[in-house]
Amino acid sequence: MLSAILVNGLVLSGIYGMLALGFALTYGVARILNLAHTAFYMAAAYGLFFFLGRMGFAPAALLASLLVLLIALAAYKLLLEPLREHEATVLIVTIALALLLQEVVLLLFGAHFRSVPALLPGFVEVFGVRVAEQALLALLFAGVVLLLAWVFLKGTRLGLGIRAAAQDQEAAELVGISLSRAGNWAVGLGGLLAALAGLAVAPMATLEPHMWNAPLLVVLAAVVLGGLGSLPGALLGAVVLAFAEVMVVNLVPGGAFLRTAVALLILVLVLVFRPEGLFGTAFAEER
Amino acid sequence: MTSPLRIWSLPWTLRYLRHEVLALPGRTAALLFVLFLLLFPLFSQDPYLLRVLTLTALFALYAASWDLLSGYTGQVSLGHAFFFGLAGYASAILGRELGLPPALTIPLGALLATLAGVLVGLPSLRLRGPYLSLVTLAFPIMATGLIFLFPRFTGGELGLSGLPRLGQSRLEEYYLVVGIFLLSVLFLWKLAGSRVGLFFHAIREDEVAVRMVGVNTVRYKLLAFAVSAFFAGLAGGLHAHYLRVAGPDSLSLFNSIQPVIWSVFGGIATIYGPVAGTFLLFPFLEALRVAEELRMLAFALLILLVMRFLPQGVVRGALERLEEECPRCKVKNAFTRKACRACGVPMHLETREVKP
Amino acid sequence: MSRVWIAALSGFALWAGSTASAQTLRIGVVGPMAFVQGEHTWHGATLAAEELNRAGGVLVGNQRYRIELVRVDTNEMTSVTDAATAVERAITAQRVDFLIGGFRSEAVLAMTEVAADYKKPFIITGAALDGILAGRVDRNYERFKYLFRVSPTKSSDLARTSLLLLGEVVQAVRRDLRIERPKVAILAERAAWADPLVETASRLIAAPPPQGYGAEVAGTWRPSATATDVTPELTAIQRAGAQVIFTVLSGPVGVPFGRDWGRLKIPAAAVGINVEAQQETWLKATDNLGAYVATLNTLAPAVAISPKTIPFISNFQARFKQFPIYTASGAYGALYILAEALNRAGTTAADAVVRALEATDYTGPAGRIVFDKTHDVTWGPGYTTGLGVQWIGGRMQAFWPRQWRVGNQTVSYAGVQPYQLPPWVVEAWRR
Repeated sequence: MLSAILVNGLVLSGIYGMLALGFALTYGVARILNLAHTAFYMAAAYGLFFFLGRMGFAPAALLASLLVLLIALAAYKLLLEPLREHEATVLIVTIALALLLQEVVLLLFGAHFRSVPALLPGFVEVFGVRVAEQALLALLFAGVVLLLAWVFLKGTRLGLGIRAAAQDQEAAELVGISLSRAGNWAVGLGGLLAALAGLAVAPMATLEPHMWNAPLLVVLAAVVLGGLGSLPGALLGAVVLAFAEVMVVNLVPGGAFLRTAVALLILVLVLVFRPEGLFGTAFAEER
Repeated sequence: MTSPLRIWSLPWTLRYLRHEVLALPGRTAALLFVLFLLLFPLFSQDPYLLRVLTLTALFALYAASWDLLSGYTGQVSLGHAFFFGLAGYASAILGRELGLPPALTIPLGALLATLAGVLVGLPSLRLRGPYLSLVTLAFPIMATGLIFLFPRFTGGELGLSGLPRLGQSRLEEYYLVVGIFLLSVLFLWKLAGSRVGLFFHAIREDEVAVRMVGVNTVRYKLLAFAVSAFFAGLAGGLHAHYLRVAGPDSLSLFNSIQPVIWSVFGGIATIYGPVAGTFLLFPFLEALRVAEELRMLAFALLILLVMRFLPQGVVRGALERLEEECPRCKVKNAFTRKACRACGVPMHLETREVKP
Repeated sequence: MSRVWIAALSGFALWAGSTASAQTLRIGVVGPMAFVQGEHTWHGATLAAEELNRAGGVLVGNQRYRIELVRVDTNEMTSVTDAATAVERAITAQRVDFLIGGFRSEAVLAMTEVAADYKKPFIITGAALDGILAGRVDRNYERFKYLFRVSPTKSSDLARTSLLLLGEVVQAVRRDLRIERPKVAILAERAAWADPLVETASRLIAAPPPQGYGAEVAGTWRPSATATDVTPELTAIQRAGAQVIFTVLSGPVGVPFGRDWGRLKIPAAAVGINVEAQQETWLKATDNLGAYVATLNTLAPAVAISPKTIPFISNFQARFKQFPIYTASGAYGALYILAEALNRAGTTAADAVVRALEATDYTGPAGRIVFDKTHDVTWGPGYTTGLGVQWIGGRMQAFWPRQWRVGNQTVSYAGVQPYQLPPWVVEAWRR
């Protein structure tokens, strides 16, 4: 039981964490609650599905990522950047964007369930618990991506600019950081991370045009739990949620359907006691 | 300021109409809209059209209630379906268990939603911005969990069906819903324009400043949650009895997002904006049934395009072009006027080219 | 894309032409048209309408009527409100006289309320909940007498068939693995229709033969019908030492179940109801990992339930390039049942048609259809029972009913093969 909780929880953390990282980055830098984030992930999965029918895995993955990067950047340039003053408008523009992607996918591929073959098809036993190799790959992937993002943000000049923009937009602008450029980078990176999540996680998900709904909730919950905008926080939030869900399934098998509800209850409780999330910085009253 | 003496008489009413309502495009449109709603059945009693209008009115009330909380106070609720669905279920269960008529159970359901509003509002005392939004998002989903936990009581995924009808005919139901809708929106609008509404505005703009001048912001935020939840619950109860089903669909994420889309499309923090947004988008989506496969695509594209060019919403966007403020006395004027209708100064300063 | 234009154009043509000819029957085909269930409802009805029209239409009294189908997209998967509105629009604006279709029980409940308001006969072809008819038609006959169901069999009957399938697999475990008391894990989505089934199954599994299966319940897991990951459940089932998983899954959760079950090679045979596995696209949806999954179904390739089965399947495949699911055979049968009832009634007046419908005895592609007193399709040998199918060698293969003894009769269809345990299950448990 314990080992099942441990192993399954860790694996699920990898999947959720992978999805949450990009979202956290986009919010942290561009201050955009991008509800279309998981729709980008869907687009990447479908892109991979489409290109795989025509070429090998590596070029297909590359093309799918490029496609999503393009969509994300175009959405930022054309829709989000001009509207960033109007927070509520940005919110529904991202929803409309997700709906648009959903409908385009529906028109192109139909509502049938599809699947993407796993890069690693088998399973391994860890402490006597069977785990899909692909799930371990996602976990590894999430770790590497987090590390790279950390190196990029802490170690490069551009990363410094992005972090400065995240901390105080006006001050950053005063010292000569182009918010538009930082935002561009953040949204591009966020989109790219969504695409990478699509590549790593899609083989474990079922492809259908509404597949962005369920993970969106998880992503939002994880990111908020960890502290909006904090990358390690997003990963930690994912871990907490994943373990909460796995524990519900293992301890109360008859109540397995409650896993999301229980995870969200934990979110609400944590936030009541730590309103800025686990890793979030308590901003002085922001004006 | 400019209104004639308030003496209720026919000549006064006519003068008021002419100088205060018809003189401004926005108010004229509002008047025409109310007349249209009240008189529509004289022209057509097609049950389908009545149904679409009834549902639109219902959802417009729902959107307006969202606006009071999220538009004015800035406490963006992404889980408004919690109040909407909870009231529907409460009304259905009260009717089934105690045999009460909808006329009683719907207000009771709305009161329960009010209570829930205060409950959801409590975290808002500590949470801000997106954190609050995402906490509100969690409530309807937790409620859905409870519904599946007690299927005997709630009907599980099927919901409770066979609820009593609101009225004997589609026409009766239409007038009932439209009547409640108009009165509620009037109330919300008056509230938003009152001193209380001013505090709501101020809380959104700068809560610290409001607190600094000695206003108990906690009380106002909870009030906003309660009032908003009451009207969302009212709409939810009416909706359940109109469809005759109270189901988990009413608590879905989709149903939480809908009022946000309608309100932002119309223009937030106006009350009439969400109403206009709903009355534009809901029938539009109905009309798109002729092209079923492209329906949602067209809907999404419309929203993207309109929001891109009218980021403050359709109503504000339109009013900005149709009405202008007098530069001296700040009275609104129709864009066609050259001089202010109140004080007579020219609306546009003549600009002379100054030659160097 | 072009289909949309054709639909729009034909919609316009219908609207323009609807007043012109009085000799058409307008029948609304209701369903979520973006999904396979709705699409197949439409296809099945189309096939029947084309056949009937080619044969000269429907003779009602001394008048011949052509059938005109009206496509009613209910969007019922996302919104019950939308579904009820679509039906009201079909009745009042598109002026349909009869309705067939409907898939999601919650939406069908709301849609049938509207149909009952307008006293329009509605033949349900996709929703299984008992309570759509039971408790409505019998208790409030005057209001709900317009409702009938041809497919699927009501959920309590689906339960009977799926338990028979479970019995078949428990037998196979006993025979092939030589385990006297197999352990059965129940994996049932959290849904009102599944609750009685879980109860009955738990009782029946543990009860001694001949009434029960003399096996052991390893545990009951209730995921959400829309869960996208059931790995924790499967891991727990494996560790509970189950040899059989009894699935009660109608929602999209069926797909992740099949995929994770196959990928992790969980050593327990899956049998029961898995609506996703009833469809031809199952293997594509699960990346071929759903092989050996067994489920209740309505039709299977090359299994002749009645003389009409094979012609229906081959006509359907020729016309639409897909294998029909139960909503297709249901809608096909419903249209014929309606046509025959109209013919017998000699009028299109709803009340007379309802009386004629009650006297239906029609053998369609999925079996013989006779309505009981709640207007529901009768279940049992000689009527409609459904099939047990299993995915083997890349195709759907029937394994039940095969020498099914009920009282003194034995039911067996041609083309039914014995059940096969998944090889990794055999490997894991063979001693």
